[in-house]
Amino acid sequence: MRIQIRQTWNHLFTVFSSMSVVLMVAALLLFLVPMLGKGMSAVFFRGTVEFRKMQHDLYGLGSESTLQKEIAATQAARDDIYAIFDRFSRGIDTDLLAGEAKRLYRDHGDELRYQNVPKDEYTALRKQAKGIRNHLMDAFESVDKAEIFEHLDAVEAFKSDASLKGTSVEKLIAMAADYRNIAETVDFSKRADYAEELDAVEEELFRLFGPRPGVERALAMESYGATRWDVVQKHLHQLVWQESWVLSEDGQQMVQKQVRRDDPKEGSFAGTQLAPMFALVEETVSETLRPRRTFYWRYFVQDSTPGHYFGGVGPEILGTLLLTVLAMCFAVPLGVISAAYLVEYAGENWVIKIIRVCINTLAGVPSIVYGLFGLAFFVEYVTAKQKCITSASMTLALLVLPVIIRASEEAIRAVPRTYREAAMGLGAGKFRTFATVTLPAAGPGILTGIILSLSRAAGETAPILFAGAVALGPIPDFAGKWWFQPTRALSYGCHDITVGDKLAMMVPHNQYGMVMTLILLVLCLNIVAIVIRSRMSKKLRGY
Amino acid sequence: MFEVSEITEKTKSESLTMESIPISKQSEATAGKIKLDGPASASQPETPITPERAIIQSRDFSFFYGSKMGVEKINMDIEIGSVTAIIGPSGCGKSTFLRSINRMNDLIPQTRAEGVLSVGGQDIYDKSTNLVNLRQQVGMVFQRPNPFAKSIYDNITYGPKLQGIRSKAKLDEIVERCLKAGAIWDEVKDDLQKSALALSGGQQQRLCIARTLATMPKVILMDEPCSALDPLATARIEDLIAELKGTYTIVIVTHNMQQAARVSDRTAFFCLGKLVEYGMTDKLFTNPREQATEDYITGRFG
Repeated sequence: MRIQIRQTWNHLFTVFSSMSVVLMVAALLLFLVPMLGKGMSAVFFRGTVEFRKMQHDLYGLGSESTLQKEIAATQAARDDIYAIFDRFSRGIDTDLLAGEAKRLYRDHGDELRYQNVPKDEYTALRKQAKGIRNHLMDAFESVDKAEIFEHLDAVEAFKSDASLKGTSVEKLIAMAADYRNIAETVDFSKRADYAEELDAVEEELFRLFGPRPGVERALAMESYGATRWDVVQKHLHQLVWQESWVLSEDGQQMVQKQVRRDDPKEGSFAGTQLAPMFALVEETVSETLRPRRTFYWRYFVQDSTPGHYFGGVGPEILGTLLLTVLAMCFAVPLGVISAAYLVEYAGENWVIKIIRVCINTLAGVPSIVYGLFGLAFFVEYVTAKQKCITSASMTLALLVLPVIIRASEEAIRAVPRTYREAAMGLGAGKFRTFATVTLPAAGPGILTGIILSLSRAAGETAPILFAGAVALGPIPDFAGKWWFQPTRALSYGCHDITVGDKLAMMVPHNQYGMVMTLILLVLCLNIVAIVIRSRMSKKLRGY
Repeated sequence: MFEVSEITEKTKSESLTMESIPISKQSEATAGKIKLDGPASASQPETPITPERAIIQSRDFSFFYGSKMGVEKINMDIEIGSVTAIIGPSGCGKSTFLRSINRMNDLIPQTRAEGVLSVGGQDIYDKSTNLVNLRQQVGMVFQRPNPFAKSIYDNITYGPKLQGIRSKAKLDEIVERCLKAGAIWDEVKDDLQKSALALSGGQQQRLCIARTLATMPKVILMDEPCSALDPLATARIEDLIAELKGTYTIVIVTHNMQQAARVSDRTAFFCLGKLVEYGMTDKLFTNPREQATEDYITGRFG
């Protein structure tokens, strides 16, 4: 009976322990797989011609001639789209038309003066032109179709007048003919709505194709269209589909629904001249943007435009490495020496006990407190009020110091006493024994502490928040005083790109990409440390 | 005969060098003043330890771990160039006494010594004793082989390097001499850069002995050197002890009474922190003076 109970206990223990391991692995996979999978989209994606244009302009990559050919081909395809768009927007944006009419009228006056027309004739011609212009302006302003056509008819009455041939007035009459075409299809009562919707459409076209040729945009993020196929899909959807309030089936409530803008019944551009454009954009999108499978390994090397809109995380990786390595340079010697003192030299008195309690407490202090301390002490007094790499890495060093001290202490304590006795028996002093025998034997254990703190230092945001990390900053200048420069870092970048500004919403691939990079970087650092540790313990084991 | 005389020559010269150790305090243990208060068997006419030949002298030596007594009032002389075995039940203080001889017990906090323990005429528990110097003169071999996690070569040169020997040729010479003296040269000479931890237990223990020899000690303390070894390895260590005898003064603690009988000239029997009997090995094992000794060696103890 007792044996059975004991066996049951054993089984229960086995089940519970294996279950907890399975749970942990599952949680890890649940967290890591989507994170890494989405992050990979920052490196593996279908890049469009805009991406190649951006890479060429910003980083001088790719061949100039093939790129120009590609741009020319895509531009040809885009021109058709823009032609439809421009034609329609002329009908809506009547201010533009009115301005043009005024300009043509002025041109007419200049022409007449240039020809030295006699004064009487000049006055008569100008009066005639003014009449035409006014009719045209009235037509532009009116929203009543009958009235518009009345005005247009009045203008087009002059069409047969041979004396006007070759003058600017003829162009005014041509405008009237043009506007008649538009007016036939446009519902002028909805002109204000059209104008609003048209702005949205223009914005989406810009997001897709970038600025029109010849237009320069000041911001780097506005210099190119959709560089990635997933972004293309997103903006294409926003271009073609609109959200509209429609009556639900029972006729009681309005519901929000996605409808195509060119939908014959509900779309806002139903039946207009713009309607064919949406289908055209959809059909020719692979022509206009030419997506191609891209392995963007330079993501880990390249600098980025402000807000991480384009480009990679090169400076962030460099900054993180600098911060972590420097922090370790500060923390490891200090930590190991402190641990050695606590184990080898310090006795067991109340001062040492208080020190131990302090170290344990420090290990539990929230990292933001370290960040504030770093600002109040390191930035203020150590680095001459400069937020910089040195102050940030010192803060990180302080953060990981307790962990290193504790791990080193345990490791040094775990070295068998016979090792120390052997060295002392040969006449080595305390320090010699520690440096030549105890420390090498404790090496793997100390390295374990370093591995733990390495990951922590690389991933912590709060301590460097105030002490030297920036979201937008220069790449460390190794020719100058790089240690007095602030730096970008992956952890801080992750924070900034997530909560920083509205731009973050537009680059989800970069958010995940940066997190993935941080995880991979920590993994790589850990692998290096683990390899060193296994070599060390192999040497200690002797085979 | 020739060899013996050579050894005697050597011992003489070494006892001379022993004089050159900086003596901080001339204790009452100085030659000439010693009154042998040892057991009767130790002062048998055929085996007297003349004060001149006593390298280690213990006078009322007691050692405490905190308030607990390790050994109590030990009076014992150890002859230069001899092998002395210390036997006794567990916890009787034999290791404590052995480790006191090169102050290895200092590593344990809150320990305290009373009385006089002198090596080469120098009171080693005097405040001004140079521990480094003492431990180079009094080497130690431990219960478990404890080579450093370094190559065989580095293990041997660890001590000489501490003494400031840097010349490669000299170090090479020391390594070869010590490994030969440690009877392990033939087994490792092909790869001196091999890790010492890759050796077998017996080889490791011989390496540890060779490592101890490299600092040119006068005394070698062995704390149950064969307890972790199989009989074959034990036999090799015993042969080695026999070879080293004469050149070095060896004090060996052992649980194995046959071993004590085989290797030692004199044997001391400790019990409950006290020296019960000390005398020629043959005599102690065949005709012990004390009842406790007889009980112990015949297995009736306890």
